[in-house]
Amino acid sequence: MTITKFPTTTCERLSALADGELGKEELLLLLQACKDDDAAVGNWGTYHVIGDVLRSPSLAAGSSSPAFLQRLNERLEDERTRMVQEPVPVPLNVARREPAANDSIFRWKLAAGFASLTAVGAIAWSSAAMMSSPPGAQLAQAPLVNQSALPVLVVASPQGPMVRDARLEELLAAHRQLGGASVLQAPSGFLNAAFETPQNAGR
Amino acid sequence: MQAVKTACDLPEKAGRVERLTWHSWVCAGVALLAMNFVAAQTPPVVSAPLQAPSAEARGINDWLMRMHEASKKQAYVGTYVVSSGGSISSAKIWHVCEGNQQVERVETLTGAPRSIFRHNDRVVTFMPEHKVVRTEKRESLGLFPELLQSTDNRIAEFYKVRQEGVERVAGLEADVVVLVPKDAMRFGYRVWTEQKKGMVVKLQTLDADGNVLEQAAFSELQLDAPVKMDKLLYMMGKVDGYKVEKPVLVKTTASAEGWVLKTPVAGFAPMSCYKRPAAASSAPGTDEPLQWIFSDGLASVSLFVEPYDKQRHEKEASMSMGATQTMTKQLGPYWLTVMGEVPMKTIKLFAGGLERKK
Repeated sequence: MTITKFPTTTCERLSALADGELGKEELLLLLQACKDDDAAVGNWGTYHVIGDVLRSPSLAAGSSSPAFLQRLNERLEDERTRMVQEPVPVPLNVARREPAANDSIFRWKLAAGFASLTAVGAIAWSSAAMMSSPPGAQLAQAPLVNQSALPVLVVASPQGPMVRDARLEELLAAHRQLGGASVLQAPSGFLNAAFETPQNAGR
Repeated sequence: MQAVKTACDLPEKAGRVERLTWHSWVCAGVALLAMNFVAAQTPPVVSAPLQAPSAEARGINDWLMRMHEASKKQAYVGTYVVSSGGSISSAKIWHVCEGNQQVERVETLTGAPRSIFRHNDRVVTFMPEHKVVRTEKRESLGLFPELLQSTDNRIAEFYKVRQEGVERVAGLEADVVVLVPKDAMRFGYRVWTEQKKGMVVKLQTLDADGNVLEQAAFSELQLDAPVKMDKLLYMMGKVDGYKVEKPVLVKTTASAEGWVLKTPVAGFAPMSCYKRPAAASSAPGTDEPLQWIFSDGLASVSLFVEPYDKQRHEKEASMSMGATQTMTKQLGPYWLTVMGEVPMKTIKLFAGGLERKK
């Protein structure tokens, strides 16, 4: 029985590649073949899923209906759009924050679909818990840079805008360092002190 | 054919589920590296109630002490990832212990480059971009075992412990333990503690509904790694070419500074109180804030008091960053900032309870 419409050899090679058993020569042939084959990427994924299911039968249990997946996808899209729209930055002197030099480290995570989120929360070690705050208490923030080159973060809170300035960062750092009085927080306190924002870097 | 079709649908589904997972990750917030850190600081503990009870029989203090001991005594190298609000940070960590000497090195992998070395309670932070090195003593970090063993240990009054089975983190089998708050004044924690020795390998801070506010975990961890203490100490002392700064912390008491918390907040005891000179980089005219620290054993709250400045302190506000909640408030001629890894409700109680001594 033919299970797909393309050449068995491509499928076999894909399968071998997914299992990490494909030689270099074969790989080149495969890549060549895949160039003209739109279904190859789909099949590549399929082999991984098959492999996962074979290794862990529990994965096979939850195959959801296309309708469910469709709804899920719509909700995700919707949520992401909201996340991007909701922040209401209070403009000071608007300048773009430069991307951190290490952004690329997490680029693979952006591929998981969170580019928009990470862009909104582009501050070194923490940012408003937009998604965890209760309705009506939505926090919005935008990283801004004023002319003295000190990053200023304006956070819209239910009580009005709150400037997340160098001073607040200092207090936060102090809290996290000395909050070490507690069992659980101290470790993160130590680490968070490491993740200070750039304006603290000079001290 | 039907079977093939279903199989072909799967990858799509897998992709979406993965996105969902990241969704929750990103919403999540930061937390603990180490119980390890605090843990690491303290002199060896000699204590009877710690005779390794079986996993089922362990009470909350047994669990905490086990985590503490494990992180202190183990030598390891690992990469630690912290996710708070919308951002993810990571650092590489080396830890070594010989006798009662603890040395640790942390290199940040995100944000400004930092190398942080800790030898017992002495912490040295290198900021290579600015050629500045900061050296300080962190005495508060040593409190943990004493706190657990003292009669003031009331952690069990405010949290209960629940086991949630076993999961694998950073290649290690770990017991999953949830520290569940008994009231709404504090957050819960889900802790993954490595099965053999108990080192904490992952931690989540949870709100009342069980949502993850922050989380942190080792993405890779090599236990019993060959970390050389003398090499770390050598690197720690290599400050040539750096400007050395020693921030001054002045120990004081809230009472001596004229402050009192008229209504205590359930479970939170005052731990320490400091004044610190204003940093050179702060705005001119800012006075040193007073920092009064409270803890319930797991969560901490800082009350900062400084003179009210019309220019800088415009509006009272509150904000939330991962698990850390903050609110500001004017108190006559003073400006109060309350900050802690506790629900906003608790922050407000602190803010409402602080008064000038009559």
